[in-house]
Amino acid sequence: MPEVLVVDDSKVMREMVVACLRPYPDSRFTQASSGLEAIEQLSLKPYDLLVLDLNMPDIGGIEVVEFVRGQDHLRNLPIIIVTTRGDEASRERALQAGADRFMTKPFTPDSIQGAARALLEKSSAEASRG
Amino acid sequence: MSGSGEFAEFLPAYLAEVDELLASAQRDLLAVEDAVRKGQAQPRAVRELFRALHTLKGLSAMVDVEPIVSVAHWMEASLRLADQAGGRLPESSVEPLVEGLRAIELRVRQLGAGKTASPAPTALLERLEALGPQVLDAAPKRARPVKLDAEAAFASRLAPSEREQLEGGLTAGQRALRLDFVPSSERAAKGLNINTVRERVAKLADIVKVLPLSGAAAGGASLAFALLLITRAEDAALLDAVGGPPAMVRSLEAPEGAAEAPGDLAPAPPDGAALPAGAVLDEELDEPEVRRGGGLLRVEVSRLDEAMEWLAALVVNRSRLTRAVAALTQAGAPTRELTAILQENGRQLRDLRSAILRLRMVRVGDVLERLPLLVRGLRRATGKAVRLELEVGDAELDKAVADRLLPALVHLVRNAVDHALETPEERQAAGKSPEGLVHLSCHARASGQLELTLRDDGRGVDAKAVAKAANAPVPDSADALLDLLCRPGLSTRQEATRTSGRGMGMDIVRRIVVEQLGGELRMETRKGAGTTFTLSVPLTVTLMDAIVFECAGRRYAVAVGTVEELIDVAGVVRPAGADGLGLVERRGAAVPLVSLARLLDAGSSGDASAKGGGAKALIVRQRGDPVAFAVDRLLGQQEIVLRPLEDPLVRVPGVAGATDLGDGQPTLVLDLAALGAARMGRRKRASRAGEWVS
Repeated sequence: MPEVLVVDDSKVMREMVVACLRPYPDSRFTQASSGLEAIEQLSLKPYDLLVLDLNMPDIGGIEVVEFVRGQDHLRNLPIIIVTTRGDEASRERALQAGADRFMTKPFTPDSIQGAARALLEKSSAEASRG
Repeated sequence: MSGSGEFAEFLPAYLAEVDELLASAQRDLLAVEDAVRKGQAQPRAVRELFRALHTLKGLSAMVDVEPIVSVAHWMEASLRLADQAGGRLPESSVEPLVEGLRAIELRVRQLGAGKTASPAPTALLERLEALGPQVLDAAPKRARPVKLDAEAAFASRLAPSEREQLEGGLTAGQRALRLDFVPSSERAAKGLNINTVRERVAKLADIVKVLPLSGAAAGGASLAFALLLITRAEDAALLDAVGGPPAMVRSLEAPEGAAEAPGDLAPAPPDGAALPAGAVLDEELDEPEVRRGGGLLRVEVSRLDEAMEWLAALVVNRSRLTRAVAALTQAGAPTRELTAILQENGRQLRDLRSAILRLRMVRVGDVLERLPLLVRGLRRATGKAVRLELEVGDAELDKAVADRLLPALVHLVRNAVDHALETPEERQAAGKSPEGLVHLSCHARASGQLELTLRDDGRGVDAKAVAKAANAPVPDSADALLDLLCRPGLSTRQEATRTSGRGMGMDIVRRIVVEQLGGELRMETRKGAGTTFTLSVPLTVTLMDAIVFECAGRRYAVAVGTVEELIDVAGVVRPAGADGLGLVERRGAAVPLVSLARLLDAGSSGDASAKGGGAKALIVRQRGDPVAFAVDRLLGQQEIVLRPLEDPLVRVPGVAGATDLGDGQPTLVLDLAALGAARMGRRKRASRAGEWVS
């Protein structure tokens, strides 16, 4: 049962992401409205997938990725970054920081579902191997 | 295209969120403009403005509203540069940004009205696009004094604008501090998480940045947050806001004479003594002042309406229960306890109703936050110097009232600036300050009314000129003068002005306040000294979906929820006779048919059945049995504001209240079941409507 943490300061955006990913079997969703809240959540409970907005009021998605990748227990957490046209420079930085995938608004439910499925299946395969 | 595509169902939520984004963007833009005028940077407002537009752009892209995406895109692009330049914008950039926001707002309104957003004006897009280079030119080539302790402030993790903000705080004589918060499940369970901590600290300080720390930097905890602040608050208050130990406060100011340490520094482990590692002190958290996560929740109004509908169903059910108990009592059953429970139940329903109504309340201050921007625009358009004073306090009112009231206030403010206030030269000649004053204050009265007072210190209303324009004798009282002013189409102006147009539109203001909201509008004016409008409006109104129909030449409304079915009266079994009663066939069963015209006309002796032939009928359950009420013509369905008829003399069983359908004429809202019961002598009192409305 994948635990997904959806982080965006826009409630509508979070709900759209959840609506897109809900068809993935048995997934459970937690929403966070800021980068800091996301980091706090990640310290309190294990997650299987992080969907992250780049632009947030306190600390941005890139800083969250940097922080997450600096934590031993979060090193392999799959991360999907949601960006907007104009974020190209930040995309590059997020990629270097260790984000796995990018979705640029507007995206379709199929595209983000596909990305989530690929990442979740990859990490569960790695887990069973390891 | 507007709102099509995969996410069309999110459009209402999108509109609600975009409204909030626009409101905050307007606030921030005003702050930016203020700073620009003073030649200051406003890093926080610029950043917030940038973020609001960025979010707006992304959301609009998701719901496929391209015109908003393009406008937001170019605004965002220049603001991004301004943010990087430490929050500085050239003065020339303010106007295009204001226009950009206005263009977005207009398109949001179009979407809200179910229309397609019109394409973004090319000229505007070009102007916005041209902002980027202007912003870069305005960026300062800075050489700033070194004041920050780079190590303590994690200088390498701060944006230039954030460092500037911290240094600016120090220069302005405030303290720049680092405050640490250590989260935990226990704390989260008590409502103390990074979001609530931020809210609490924000009341005491400007939060410049929050950094997550782990490992050694977190002082042994697996995670700590370092809040970098500018503040005048005491350490104790700050520590209290983050829930006490483990926490610490540390100054970010560089020791006297210290040079700024070179760039890339690893975060230093904090002073061990100041940050006792270890468990959360539970007794600290159990203290009463540790508030539960007082977060805000955004709820669509339609969900509240839904709750209200369920409550209405409960109330109807309770009426049935009351009748059933009454019948039992009459039959001699021991119902004393049952009656007591029913009474208790009635009180609980009333409490529940007021609790739901309270959820619909919005702060008046939030409603009025558009006014400063409006006055700003008027200042530019009229060339008059105007100061807007808002004194709104914490009063709240129902969202439905607020939505209707705002246009009336906008109208009055516009009139005040446009017509009432004189030009600076005229004012000086009259011995007044060149800057005109528009003052809006409001407070809630115990009577469930909100009183708003809008005062200007302008020229006052010229009664003679108004009388002349209205072709009427000069009024002898303020009330009579207001009556004249509220005549449709009246204008004392020879020419239409650009901002208010020709008409004063006071008739519209009065219609909103008096007819739609059931409030009061008063005016006082003194020549040369100014005019004061006082608006009293109820804090709440009852909104309902209603079927509007015509009967015997008049229009009536009835709550949709009470009507079971609409039928053609083609299948009349027996037409209504002299007693106004007949039978109509519905799905093979005969249903009593009542001529509504006859019912409404019961007092007079006229032949009502001849007047109202009754082509359609509304089927309503009366004591559980269907009854068809024949009406002449159905006019449609719409949301109405129900105004209860307060006057006990006017209160009639079967009339739930009155409403304004938008034509300025009062229209009666009927409760057909109660009306039928009362008029056909089966029951004396209207149970349902009476109870609901009171």
